[in-house]
Amino acid sequence: MVGLTSYHDQETIGAVTAAVHEGLTCHFAGLTSRIVLVDCGSTDSTVARAREALGDGGDLLEVSAPRAGVDLLEVPYHGIPGKARALHTILTTARELDARGCVIFDAGVRTITPHWVDWLARPVIEHAFDFVSPYYHRQPFEGALTKGLVYPLVRALYGVRLRQPAAAEFACSGRLLDHFLEEDLWERDGAQVGIDLWLAASAASGDFRLGEAALGIRTHHARGGEALDLGTTIVQIAGSLFADLEGRAGRWQRTRGSVPVQLFGTSLATGSPQASSVDVERLIESYRLGYRELRDIWTWVLPPRTIVELRKIADGPHMLFRLDDELWARIVYDFVLGYRLRVLARDHLLQSLAPLYSGWLASFIVQVRDRSTEAVDQRVEDLAAAFEAQKPYLIARWRWPERLRTGQEKRKE
Amino acid sequence: MVEQFDRALRLASTRIVESIANFLPGALVFLVLLVGALIVALVLRYALRRALNGLEFDRRAGLLGISLSDWTPSRSASTLVASVAYWTVLALGLLFGFTALNATLPSQFAVSVLQYVPHLVAALVILVVGGVVARFLARATLIGAVNMGVQYARLLSLTVKWLVLIVAAAMALDHIGIGRTVLLLAFGILFGGVVLAIALAVGLGARDVVSRALDRQLREPARDDKLNHV
Repeated sequence: MVGLTSYHDQETIGAVTAAVHEGLTCHFAGLTSRIVLVDCGSTDSTVARAREALGDGGDLLEVSAPRAGVDLLEVPYHGIPGKARALHTILTTARELDARGCVIFDAGVRTITPHWVDWLARPVIEHAFDFVSPYYHRQPFEGALTKGLVYPLVRALYGVRLRQPAAAEFACSGRLLDHFLEEDLWERDGAQVGIDLWLAASAASGDFRLGEAALGIRTHHARGGEALDLGTTIVQIAGSLFADLEGRAGRWQRTRGSVPVQLFGTSLATGSPQASSVDVERLIESYRLGYRELRDIWTWVLPPRTIVELRKIADGPHMLFRLDDELWARIVYDFVLGYRLRVLARDHLLQSLAPLYSGWLASFIVQVRDRSTEAVDQRVEDLAAAFEAQKPYLIARWRWPERLRTGQEKRKE
Repeated sequence: MVEQFDRALRLASTRIVESIANFLPGALVFLVLLVGALIVALVLRYALRRALNGLEFDRRAGLLGISLSDWTPSRSASTLVASVAYWTVLALGLLFGFTALNATLPSQFAVSVLQYVPHLVAALVILVVGGVVARFLARATLIGAVNMGVQYARLLSLTVKWLVLIVAAAMALDHIGIGRTVLLLAFGILFGGVVLAIALAVGLGARDVVSRALDRQLREPARDDKLNHV
């Protein structure tokens, strides 16, 4: 079964539906398949375009998900309000249809091809994989938050090298689908925003076979509203991840090391992803401004040793701007602990991470600016390895958080 | 003559003795009430300190943004709460004691003070809530402004903090009926002045800067938007 989630996607949903239909027809002709569409309240012709794209050649099962007015109060980074309810509806439908596997696509993707269906679904259908996450070919600085925080943290905590766990597309087996539906994450606060990450974390923290599918380049049409600012993006992404790992502490504290996941598919995409222009000077200035103004707030979260290291970086010349992997890993872990202990209002805490992230990003760009894609990937792997090496630091402080509190009291004195 | 003097003396003595006899029980009750209040106050202070320490009140108050370090570095929030409770019980004991003495003036004072207590408590609550809101908003402004790259983020944050604190203080004073008219006037003048000053500063001094900023904003998306972080 293929599930589509849509919201104001009239520009792209026709092509997406057609590609999915073609993918199912070409690659899984011998199997019974269904396309299920859950629209999250589009007021344009999104649903009509999907119907038109299939014509008489395929039947589209339209299922409506329950909606809530509060969904429209917060713009999620993925752009689909009420996404958790939509995914829950799709997975429930898949279970009712007794599907062997379910593939999810965001109807706003521009670059989808019929091969995407094959590469995501085949490992589940033929190779008994439980979860297949896409691996998109991206420009070195694109998805920096995923490369610098989400991937290293998921890898260090759950022991699987799932490189893009926040992706909107994925495939899951019937067994994992049942597991997803039994999880208590659907009604949690923040589910509508963080559901993609939570499902990936759920799969990674369970005893499931995980794989990746190289799908090439992914571009996405803008869903009307302006892109979220960095602070809000960090609140949504890091906040979702931090909130989820609280409930899985027993699991990730027992996990040691990490294993690579099998990669399926070969990207047929031509060309390279659109290059992003990033102003490194501006990122460094953001970091310095953050250090100057938010240092007092950071002392609630970070130990004095880290603050001293941050001061050295802030005072150093632009040319030598470096934020070490170990330092960045410890900073992220300290924020995880701060989030858990609620040392500040959680939104404030996460937003205050933005200048530090800018500093890390500037350092990352300076290091990989003129290097090959392989070298950039290796740099990300080195960073993730540093997160693994620093994991005992997190575990020790997670188990004895009073030590952190005592540290804070001493600093105050 | 002597007999009359003796009668007057006896009468005066009797009156004095009667007065003392009338006053002594009241004084005794006053003393008992005062000592009782002192004991209750001491016990309450001790119990509050223990209970608040057990509940990690200072840490929790810090999380809510209630920090006394700016004003009284030597006192923690729990010590302050315990001290306030201690002195409140002592003051109440004193007022009840005056009532027991049957002294008209202190009794009236006691009654009027007791009638005033709810207003004082409400004003205190307004001040505490105002303090918490001020610190929360100041921190939110500081972090938001830093993330937007505003160089004078701390100034903005302090402005927000003191505006909220002043409004809270004015509300508290208004609630207990101190200088109502003066406060209203002062606020009208202060806020009007601030808004006018900002309008003049932006309109005259920073017109070109604002114009350029708006122009830039309308012409091109924010630089941050070019990079997809997720």
